[in-house]
Amino acid sequence: MSVGKAQALCSQIEALLLASDEPLSILRLRNLLGEEMPGSDIRTAISELEAHYHNRGIQIVQVAGGWQLRTAAEHAELIHQLWEIRPQKLSRSAMETLAIIAYRQPATRAEIEALRGVKVSSQMISTLQERGWIKVLGRKEVPGRPHLYGTGKQFLVDFGLDSLKDLPDSAQLMDEDEIQQMVMEKIEPHEEANETDTEKS
Amino acid sequence: MNQAVQAELITHEHESHALPPVHLDQFEGPLDILLHLIRSQEMDVFDIPMALITTQYLGILEEQNELDLEVAGDYLVMASTLMQLKSRMLLPRPELDDEGNEIDPRAELAAQLIAYEQYRMLSEELNERPRLGRDLFLRPVFPESKEVARPLPEADLDGLLVAFRTVLKRVGGEVRHRIFTETMSVRERMATVLERLCKGGILLDELLADEPGREALVTTLLAILELWRQQAITVVQSENLGSITLLIKGDSNERG
Repeated sequence: MSVGKAQALCSQIEALLLASDEPLSILRLRNLLGEEMPGSDIRTAISELEAHYHNRGIQIVQVAGGWQLRTAAEHAELIHQLWEIRPQKLSRSAMETLAIIAYRQPATRAEIEALRGVKVSSQMISTLQERGWIKVLGRKEVPGRPHLYGTGKQFLVDFGLDSLKDLPDSAQLMDEDEIQQMVMEKIEPHEEANETDTEKS
Repeated sequence: MNQAVQAELITHEHESHALPPVHLDQFEGPLDILLHLIRSQEMDVFDIPMALITTQYLGILEEQNELDLEVAGDYLVMASTLMQLKSRMLLPRPELDDEGNEIDPRAELAAQLIAYEQYRMLSEELNERPRLGRDLFLRPVFPESKEVARPLPEADLDGLLVAFRTVLKRVGGEVRHRIFTETMSVRERMATVLERLCKGGILLDELLADEPGREALVTTLLAILELWRQQAITVVQSENLGSITLLIKGDSNERG
């Protein structure tokens, strides 16, 4: 690909990313730019743009399987001043519910309640649903056939994740069996129980 | 309501362990309180001092002026769990696991606390991530529909909800209600329908045919449904998608 063509492609993609209200995937970009455009060229162009916007006030971020042009996080306050907005704070209970759904999906409401030790209100579920962060994936085939919740695409977009694999620290998350095992090993020797180990969990 | 129970079970000899006062609003439930007590006093989650923790936990509940009934249940269940564990710690342990080892009564609680703490930590981490709309912003070009034709996208319920949210955001979330005076009353219409049905059954289509305008149609339909609910009339449909006949109750041998 000639330098001129490569530059033109960069500039086309730049315009599309600015104008789009959702992340654009390679597939979507190819649809727009013409199927004959090789995906590898698009990738190269995006990398170039990413490098170009590195350390700038706006950035190209890879989210939800595509790319999006966004303002840099460090300017959050400036923009709040510009629009005279105060960002809504989410309650801790909503964040905890969201985290449990994100890391454990599919999860039923009863499972979330068991983990948090408190009731989960329908109000909170619908708040998360309205934001597009969670959605009903189906029903669990147990008595009562409760809804199974998982995260929606907007969750990835809003939290700047390319896929669920990018959830922070998901590798360290212990499941019930692992916790059970750890507890059984550590709870016996009362005197020798070592506190620093528990901090990591 | 739990004071009486507590008074019997708790002797106030642990006053020396006075903790700074806390309010339940700060916590996300009983597990959150327990973790706070354990971590702030650098206790070992694998060797929880049940007597002390139970006293402190009940102390916190006691300090609350009034418990919100919505959440009180969860806190009280934990209170009774703690008291039960406390007493089981004093007894010999007959419970053995598969390998014949004694099971510490606190094992389940410890596992619960560790599991909860994981998610509590992850939720904080998630909350600290730069978030679109809070820390990061987009500048999408959104052509007004007057200027462009917009083919309909494939929709699902979640997509619809998200789209609706976007629209609400654009109109500034302002919702205006206009209240119209009722020009036709359902009750009035119920009387008319009954009167008509007294002359014999009638097809739904026929009954609705005379109604001028949508409002009248809706009112009549509501009147029919209300009459049906009150079992003043019978509604008969002899075949799928066939015509619907309305009859006055106890008049079913007569077909319209």
